[in-house]
Parts: sequence; structure tokens; C-alpha cells
Amino acid sequence: MRTLRRFFRRLSSWVTIQQDEERLGAEIEEHLALQTAENLRAGLSPAEARRQAVLKFGAVEAIREDYRDQRGLPFLETLAQDTRHALRRLRMAPAFTITTVLTLALGIGATTSIFTLVHAVMLKSLPVANPGELYRLGKETRCCYWGGYSQDNEFSLVSYELYKYLRDNTKGFSELAAFAASEETFGVRRSGSSEAAQAYPGEFVSGNYFRMFGIKAHAGRALTDKDDQAGAPPVAAMSYRLWEQRYGSDPSVIGSIFNIDDKPFSVVGITPPGFLGDTLRSGPPDFFLPLNTEPYGQSTSDLDKANTHWLELIGRIQPGARPESIEAEMRVELKQWLRSHWGDMSANDRAKFPDQTLFLSPGGAGITSMREQYEHWLKILMTFSGFVLLIVCANVANLMLVRGLERRRQTSLSMALGARASRLVREALTESILLSLLGGGAGLAIAFEGTRLILHFAFPSLPGFEGVPIQASPSTAVLLFAFGISLATGIAFGIAPAWMATRVDPIEALRGASRSTVRRGSLPRRTLVVFQAALALILLSASGLLTATLHRLENQNLGFDQDGRIVTKIGLSGYRPEQLTPLYRRIHDSLSSIPGVSAVALCIYSPLSGNNWGTDIWVDGHPPPGPNDDNFVSLDRVTPGYFDAIGTQIIRGRGLWEQDTATSRHVAVINEALARKFFKQEDPIGRHFGGSVEAPSQYEIVGVAKDARYLTSSLDKPIGPFYFLPEAQHDFLPKAPLTDVSPGSHFLHDIVIVTRPGTSLPVARIRQAMASVDPNLPIISILTLREQIAGQFSQQRLIARLTSFFGVLSLVLASIGLYGVTAYNAGRRVSEIGVRMALGANRSHVVALVLRGALGLILLGLFIGLPLTFAAGRFLGSQLYGMNPYDPVVTLIAVAALGFSGLAACLIPALRASWISPLEALRSE
Amino acid sequence: MKEKTDVRQGTLALMVLKTLDVLGPLHGYGIARRIEQISGDLLTLNQGTLYPVLLKLEQEGSITSDWGTSENNRKARFYRLTRDGRKQLQAETRDWEQTAAIIGRFFAVKAEDLK
Repeated sequence: MRTLRRFFRRLSSWVTIQQDEERLGAEIEEHLALQTAENLRAGLSPAEARRQAVLKFGAVEAIREDYRDQRGLPFLETLAQDTRHALRRLRMAPAFTITTVLTLALGIGATTSIFTLVHAVMLKSLPVANPGELYRLGKETRCCYWGGYSQDNEFSLVSYELYKYLRDNTKGFSELAAFAASEETFGVRRSGSSEAAQAYPGEFVSGNYFRMFGIKAHAGRALTDKDDQAGAPPVAAMSYRLWEQRYGSDPSVIGSIFNIDDKPFSVVGITPPGFLGDTLRSGPPDFFLPLNTEPYGQSTSDLDKANTHWLELIGRIQPGARPESIEAEMRVELKQWLRSHWGDMSANDRAKFPDQTLFLSPGGAGITSMREQYEHWLKILMTFSGFVLLIVCANVANLMLVRGLERRRQTSLSMALGARASRLVREALTESILLSLLGGGAGLAIAFEGTRLILHFAFPSLPGFEGVPIQASPSTAVLLFAFGISLATGIAFGIAPAWMATRVDPIEALRGASRSTVRRGSLPRRTLVVFQAALALILLSASGLLTATLHRLENQNLGFDQDGRIVTKIGLSGYRPEQLTPLYRRIHDSLSSIPGVSAVALCIYSPLSGNNWGTDIWVDGHPPPGPNDDNFVSLDRVTPGYFDAIGTQIIRGRGLWEQDTATSRHVAVINEALARKFFKQEDPIGRHFGGSVEAPSQYEIVGVAKDARYLTSSLDKPIGPFYFLPEAQHDFLPKAPLTDVSPGSHFLHDIVIVTRPGTSLPVARIRQAMASVDPNLPIISILTLREQIAGQFSQQRLIARLTSFFGVLSLVLASIGLYGVTAYNAGRRVSEIGVRMALGANRSHVVALVLRGALGLILLGLFIGLPLTFAAGRFLGSQLYGMNPYDPVVTLIAVAALGFSGLAACLIPALRASWISPLEALRSE
Repeated sequence: MKEKTDVRQGTLALMVLKTLDVLGPLHGYGIARRIEQISGDLLTLNQGTLYPVLLKLEQEGSITSDWGTSENNRKARFYRLTRDGRKQLQAETRDWEQTAAIIGRFFAVKAEDLK
């Protein structure tokens, strides 16, 4: 208690410094006066009386210092003093200060910028109430549909019926919500407006979705259970982003009707700002629709199919409930539900029934598809920016060492006068930390810009999709990180030089110039340079590997033609299946009539567009696939002339043409991979296969196409099996000849337009042609095929570019470090060089002399860096897409680059040293 | 000449408190003289060392100070015991007496008493 009171008194005594000093002075004077008077009364002479009084009092100055120590907080006061002195010293050396601060800003800025991304993608949780209580179904993310009654590894997607069953029976969840796993795009037009429909991302969610998250609408109301009933009036919630940016926060939007895919919905509320949905993805949903509106208007619906699993689950557990017991409960319910559908299950499903299980995982951070995607390369970037920071620190430490050496005389003088080593270290450390805090401040500005740029390149925004779900503005966590790392940097590069500075022998420094050839103080500097060289080598070869990988990815033989092709994506959710074929014909005719267009074809998805359709296939003449056989094959449905349009060669038989009509025999074209997998040496032409067990002879193979890359995953693996079906032919079940088996596969979203070489096609022209077909048909995007493909590699490109930037930066910094050390050493040996030259050494000898030392450092750096480089290559792992991490060419180039730039860096001081005239050398100092 | 003992740490504060308790408000010089007097000149005390101790006691709240007039009509700073200070004095007095008693018993013990 007393100590606390004392502490506060000491703290507040800062205010009264002047008065306190005066007061003490007055008291001491008073005391001495009284004692002197006493001594006078005792009979001493005035001078003697005073002297005795002072003797009795004690050493006045010492007492006053002791008093001061008691009065304030000496630690803080000396800190303030040190800071003032450090600022003054820095002001007196502007060149040094500016260089250091800028270098530090670069290093700290880069690291902070990467951290902003890491924090946003990997560390933040959803902006909802109590994210710790949220749990989701599934350990891995699965997209987006699963049919049947069994799922490999885990049941992570559910059908609507299964969702309701789990929701109603699991007591452990206070709320269990569901949402569609696939990202939908809706064509939306405000009712009564004359403009064309625009495409926006949207999501189907259950009625209790918002209540489960604990989110209230920003305006209007959120969706409720009552909205999610069959036959309820169709309503929707709009995102804050769209409301603000497109409609200027107009309150009349709430309650007005919007035509979503040509069906009227009433917008009842706006979601809160910052709520981006359950998944962190680029293009967060702008419209939230109740699950029960999913079949609204479409003849194909997923809602009422018990065996179409299209929903992901996320729920809030009861307070105090244990997720393990809820998981066990749900597993039992799953088995119960499956058993209730035993009669509908296929043989394979029944065989796999015992293995069916499910898992719950924490859902507070949202569905983590984006996190998994970006996690690895964010870690790589974080590590590399850390390396750059280390190199920066090494450089600055070098500079500080030099400064320390230059101030040796002052330091030794201070020590001779009684300064404690710890005080001197603190002084030097204050200077370092001040520099790094300044650097950190400047670095924040760099970080902000840098993050913005990285996000711009990392999320290539399609026109209309403005939502980058990450904020680049500095949040508290980022600011704290920047501050912390500045502090750590300052200590890191400051402590060694500070400690070094105190290891001076006072006499040595006062004696003056050294006449030694021994480079005594430069061991730490040389170590730093070696360290920098090693790190630079690692960064250079890593960037070389990533750049080479990117090159390989982009220039691999993709199996189709990239030039002169434009892909137009359209939204078809508002169309009924019977309207489609005539629509495609009209689109084909309208676009073909544009001058300059040589071919037009439609497909479900074009190559590397990010989508995939697939089924299991049954091959006629082969035994039916067992539970362990992988018969999953991708497919695409195309209009006639597709293969010419996309530029894929047919190597056997023919492509799909006009002759394949609804009434002719059902045909398919397969790719080489499918032929290799299922037909090996036999000729596949004329053989049959089918997409379901009831119809294994559905399609006759009429052609084999060259392998082409359509899927964006597994870019380093060989192309998988693929087959193509004609648009005009519909697959009917033999038992139900009028029911289309997969009506969804007739929605062809991508239009491939081939232009004649030399002609360019303005986007407006395409829009015009499409508008003449149907002005309400939403156009989602128009890109050249090249742009679409480049977009798939944007991540790899970004990381290659960033690491190359880091690599070049580190090379420059390491070279500067080497230059500095060599120049300094050469400078110290000026007199020695003078003597040597006077005794007969010529210029080249001197150059060799200086170079020898420097080259030794480079070689040592390379030697240490090389095994670390190989380790780094392994660390890059999957980012290299199968490229050899020990690739000799890349390593050699990196070594050569480092070697040459190092050589150039130390050549300059070596040459300068050789131009010294012996007379001057001996005369200086 | 008798050897003067140095003041032990911490005891100076106690002496100041006791002096103020017995003699009422005093200025710095007065306290120093009284302490010398009470100790019977057995203590060597650099009088100046009193002032940091007075500051510490004041910061802790055991004493307060005010400007006043000294005996020769000069302005001087007078120190006075507070209620907290009085309590602290009593507590420390008890401690000292207890310590002295225990040590005393140890000094008085003879070999036979322990058999």
C-alpha cells in the first residue's frame, strides 16, 4: 500500500521538478545556515564554522543525486534523456538516418503487408456472435454435389431431407442451419426498371441461418423460418455491399420487388456490413434466398431429391454441450436415415453403408476453402518476407557496427569517466529502437499500399464481382504486429553493435589510429555478410524455381488453341429446359452473323474455367465397377462444331456435328485418357458406355479427341479421362423414356467465339448480338480465352512475382552489405597498401589482395546457403507442381547471380584501393 | 575517543518518526540535531542523508511537510507525523521489541539450559 502510494507520488513528481529542486536547495541552505550559526555560537571562526557545517552535512552533490533518485522515476528519466540524445545524434547524421529508416521501412513494410493477409485469411473469425460455439459438418470442404447414399471418407454434404432429419433430431445443436455448397449466380433486375439483368453471386440458405449466426439485419428484417416453407411468399436478403454501392443505401429497396432469374422476390432486409457469409471466398454472396425457393420456377430441383446432397451444415451447439457427443449422436442418426432409404440404395451404396460416418469441426472461422487454398503460399510468403527482414537487419547491424567503431573514442572517454557499460548499451539500444520505430512507421505506409496491390493481383475480379473479402486497412492486430516487429528488429540489430561498443579498451581508443593489418573488429561484420549471402541465395533460387514452375504451367501443351477465342459466360437459371435448344440456335446464329466471327459453339464449361461435371461410367463389355473402382470421369456437353471452335484435334473418328440430332443414335466423343484407361490397346470406336447402371450402352463412341486440360486442380498431374456429348441429344431412362436423366447438363453456360486472325471483336458488339437474342439474358463475363487461363494462374503468378521481387531485393541488399564491408576494410588498410606498393606491389596485386578476402566471404555464404536452398525447395513442395526442387539449372543461375553481383560489389573498392598513390597512403594518418 | 557506529539501513526512518512523535513538528536541521542528541552522540550521521529519507517517508504518506518559521525567524520546512505514520511507528516498535526480545534470549542462554 505504501509502496503503491509512493509509486504514484514519484510518478506525479515529474510535474514539480523545478519547484522541488529549488525547495531542496533552500532546505539545504537553511540547514547549513543553522549549523553554521551553532558552530559560531560554539566559538569557531565564520569560515571554520561554515566548513565544519558542510563536513557534517556530507557531500552535498551526492545527497542531491540521492534525493533525485528518490524523487522521480530515474529509469524513465534516463530513458527520456537517452531518447533526446539519440534523436540529436540521428539528426546530426542525416544520410545514415534516412538510409537506415528507408531500408527498415522496406523490410518491415513487406512483412507487415504479408501479415495483414495472413491475419485476414487465416486468423480472423467470422463477424458473428460467439464464433467459438459454431460447428460445421465435415473436416474437408467438398464441392458441390454428391449423389447417392454413400460418400467416401465422410458424409459432409447432405440433402434437404437429411438436413431436416438431423435438425429435428439432434438435441446438441441449439440451431442447425444449412446452405448450398455451390456458388450460385443470379440474374437480377429490379422490377419496373428498364435495364438489363445483372449477374450477382447469391446463396440459398435455411430459414434459421441468420438466427443461428446471431445476426440482425442492418435494415429491414433478416430471413426467418416462416420464409423457408414451401409455398411461402418468396423473399430475399440483400448484402450491405450491394445495397451501398449499387443502390446508394436507398431505403426504398427494402420491400421492393426484384426479379431474380426472372422470378419476383421481395427484398425484406439488408445484412449487416462486414458479414460476408459462411465461407471466405472471393465474390461473397449479394443475395440470400430461402432454401425452399430453390425449385421456384426450375423444373429441375435439388430440394426434393433425398439422394442429391447439395447442402453444407453449420450450427450453434448448446452451451456446455460437448461436440464429441453431438458427433456420435449425429452418426447414429445418419445410419438411421440411411436405413430408412435402404430400398432406394444401389448395391454399391449398400456395400459402403457400414463405413458411412461424419465429423464435426469448429466452424467459427467459416468454411475454410479459401484458407486451404491460400494457406500454403501465405506461409511461403511469410517466411520469405521474414528472410528479407533478416537481411535488412543484417545490413543495418553492419551500419551500426561501423558507427560504433567510429565512436570508440567517445565511448572510451565515457567509460573512463565512470559510465557503466549497461548505461552505454542502453544508450545505443535506444538509438537502434528509435530508428526501427521510425522505420516501422514508414513501413506501415508501404504495407498498406503493398497489401492493396497484392489483393488486386490475387483476386482477379471479374466485372461485376467487386467483393474482395479482405480489408487492406490496418487493423489493431496489424498495427500491434508492426510495432512489435519494429521493436524486435531494433533490438536484433542493435544489441550486437551495442555490446561490441562497450568492449573497448579505453586506452586503445584514446591512443588514436591503428596501424594494424588485423581486421579485428570486423569478424561480426563478416559473419553478417556471409549470413546475408546465404539468405539471398535461398531467396534467389526459390524465386527461380517458382518462376520456372509458372512458365511450365502456362506454356504446357493444353490441348486446345488459346488464340483468337473469346469466352462469354451467361446465366441460364431463368430458363426452362425446353427453351434451351432453340435459344442456343439463336445465340449461335446471332453471334455468327457478326463480321469477323468464324465459329461459335456452346458448352457447359470451357477449358480452365473453374468448373467440372462428372459421373461414374459403365463400360459395355466390362464388369460393373465395384466399390473400390474409380470410374469417375468428367464430361462436357457441347453444340456442333465445338472441337473446331476450341481447337482440339480429333485423332480418331470424328467430332460432334449437326448430324447428331435428338433422334439419331446417341454418340459420344472421348479423350485419349479415357481410351487409355478403359480400352487400352483396343479401338474404342464403335464401343459403348453409359452414365448409369440402367443404361450401360447409352453412348456409342464415334471419335477420340486429343487430351485437353479442362480442370484447374491437379495441374501437375496428367490429364484425366473426359467425354463429350452432343447438346441435341437427351438421355432418357429406358424405363421412363420421357424423363431426362440429367436435365442440368443441358444448361450450357459458356459460349466460345472464334474470331478470324487479324480481326478484333469489341465487347459491345457481342453484348449487342446477345441482346438481340434476349435482352434479359444476364451476361456474367466476356473474356478472351487467354485471359481466362491466365486468371487460373493468377495465384502462381503472384507468388512467383513476389518472391522474385524479394530475391532481387535481397541480392541488392547483400551486395550493398558486401560492398560496405570490403570498402571499410580496404579503407583501414590504406597505410598497409601504401607500404606494399612502395615495396613493389603493382595494381593488380592490390586488387587481388582486397578481393581475396571478399571472395572468401561470398564462397562461404554460397557454401552455407546451398544446402539450405535445397531445404527451401522441399519446403515449397506442392507450389512447384511437380517440378524438381533440386533443378540444377535454377540453382546454377542463382549461384552465378549471387557470385557476379558480389564480385561487382567488391570490385569497386578493390579498384579504388589500387589507385591509391603510395605517398598519399603513407602520409594519411 | 569512542568509536561512532554507522546508522543501520532503515533504522534512520524509524528514528525520524519517533523523533517527530515525541517532539512534534520539526524542521530538517532540528530532526538531525535531535537524533544526534538522543543517540548520545554514539552515532555518526552525515546530516545530509536525512533529506532523502524524509522524502521517502513523505512519499509514503507517513509524514507531511509545510513551510513555517524557524527559531531565528527564517523560513523553514517543518515536518509532522501523520496518523498513518503513527500507526507505522507503533507497528515497527512492536517488531523491534519482539526481535530484541528473541535475540536477548539467545544471548542469555547458557550451555546448561539446553541439556
